[in-house]
Amino acid sequence: MNPKTTISFLLFLFSTCFVFAKTITICKTGCDFNSIKTAVDSSKSGDSLFIKTGLYKESNIVIYKKSLYITGEKGTVIDTQNKGYGFSVEATDIIIKNLTIKNIEVSYTKEYAAILLFKSYDFVIENITVERAFFGLLVQKSKDGIIKNNTISGEGKAEADSGNAIHLWHCENVKVLNNDVRRMRDGIYLEFGNSSYIANNYSTQNMRYGLHFMFSNDNAYENNTFEANGAGVAVMFSKRIKMFNNLFKKNWGTASYGILLKEINDAELQNNIFEDNTIGVNADGTNRITFTENTFKNNGYAIKVHGACYDNIYSKNNFLHNSFDLSYSGKLNSNKFENNYWSNYTGYDLDKDGIGDVPYRPVKLFSYLVNRTPESIVLLRSLFIDIINFSEKVSPVFTPENLIDNKPLMHKVTW
Amino acid sequence: MKRLSLLIFLCSFFSCSKTPQTINYGTDMCHFCQMTIVTKTHAAQMVTTKGKQYKFDAIECMIRFLEDKQDIMASGNLFIANYNQPGTMIDAKTATYAVCEEITSPMGANLSGFKNTETAKKIINGRPAQYYDWEGIFNKIN
Repeated sequence: MNPKTTISFLLFLFSTCFVFAKTITICKTGCDFNSIKTAVDSSKSGDSLFIKTGLYKESNIVIYKKSLYITGEKGTVIDTQNKGYGFSVEATDIIIKNLTIKNIEVSYTKEYAAILLFKSYDFVIENITVERAFFGLLVQKSKDGIIKNNTISGEGKAEADSGNAIHLWHCENVKVLNNDVRRMRDGIYLEFGNSSYIANNYSTQNMRYGLHFMFSNDNAYENNTFEANGAGVAVMFSKRIKMFNNLFKKNWGTASYGILLKEINDAELQNNIFEDNTIGVNADGTNRITFTENTFKNNGYAIKVHGACYDNIYSKNNFLHNSFDLSYSGKLNSNKFENNYWSNYTGYDLDKDGIGDVPYRPVKLFSYLVNRTPESIVLLRSLFIDIINFSEKVSPVFTPENLIDNKPLMHKVTW
Repeated sequence: MKRLSLLIFLCSFFSCSKTPQTINYGTDMCHFCQMTIVTKTHAAQMVTTKGKQYKFDAIECMIRFLEDKQDIMASGNLFIANYNQPGTMIDAKTATYAVCEEITSPMGANLSGFKNTETAKKIINGRPAQYYDWEGIFNKIN
């Protein structure tokens, strides 16, 4: 056999692989199958399953080590009737698309989800609507996947018996794009999740966090909106997280923040907007973080820094009309504030170089008092506080010595 | 005036109560890690002799908080959530603890608390787990 024929023979063999991959249709009457479960059980790896419109009362559909391409017609609804999982998948190369899955069982001891992926690689979950979810999409020990255009919503009770909309546990390289998640415990939760990218999501009314990183490194999130969650985003015990162009809005309440940073290192925050939050940024044990070109607008506190924060740089940020721009405990610890725009700045610029001639001290004596005695907040707009703030400005005693913006900008930063 | 003083007396009396306050799940904050407390199966709580309340989102948070506070630990009342009766609090010092990979807890220790060892073993149901008493788990976490 000459090489040419060998190649064509191989090509022929290769193409037959695809010939044997079938498309199986599922509908109530007149199709190959009338149940998704039996269709999945009798399909082979590489098959496509097309589910025609209708209501399917099925649950715990198990896909084990089969590469399937499952797609639904518009109006395909799977009702699990509060009986466990929707899909439970352990497979490589799997696509699930265009389905509505509803009524996921609530349990304290089992994490029931509309779609559970376990040890799955190269997966795509797209256009899935989950209604009355306990967990939405639960992805465990998986990598190289895409989760996009999904809408996941829970019951919205104030109770804590809800799961997370998108939960990645021990995952790597997953892209979470364009999802709408609401009324769950956490909108998107990465627990031991590395090298993932989260963009263009809308996360709202979640009980705990819009987005939550725990023990997760080298992740990036961009262009997301976090509105009216228990708290916007929590980044905890993680390294090298990039946070760009996000909007943190209306995260209001006693335990509420735009973003909570706890024990994190080497992160970058750029071009984010913090608006109407109780606390914009709550930082505790954070090191080597750069905050540049962010806008803090109408927050209770723009930034609250607790202990153990070293080598952070805050530059070119806009601080606009916050009740307190900064609250600080302890020493400056080589944190640097430079070239920010402060709406409360009352200095002047005689040489007209755009930089104020008098340094700005962002910590007010009153914020120090409120830190010590939270109840004293009732004095916020009183004359007495104006007087003590003024006296502190004239001869600072309580503000950490070097906590100064030496080059405050005269004009807002635009980006 | 009499009524007012009675009211003040009652207030001061109740504010010193050493029983745990109910945790408002979804709004209260963990004293150690600042997370919002949401899991009824893993929350923990401490009340000092003066009646000061500390709430935690996970048992491991309370243990880490207590690491360098041996005196408070000895005198205060410690409570943990009973895993199989979500929302109910039990005495932390007499409880049984199980570390089980398959039951995740909020702060990554996979630690749950039970009233006694028998119920713990029944709930864990043969899954791989290690069992501890209060002393044991305290030394393991810290």
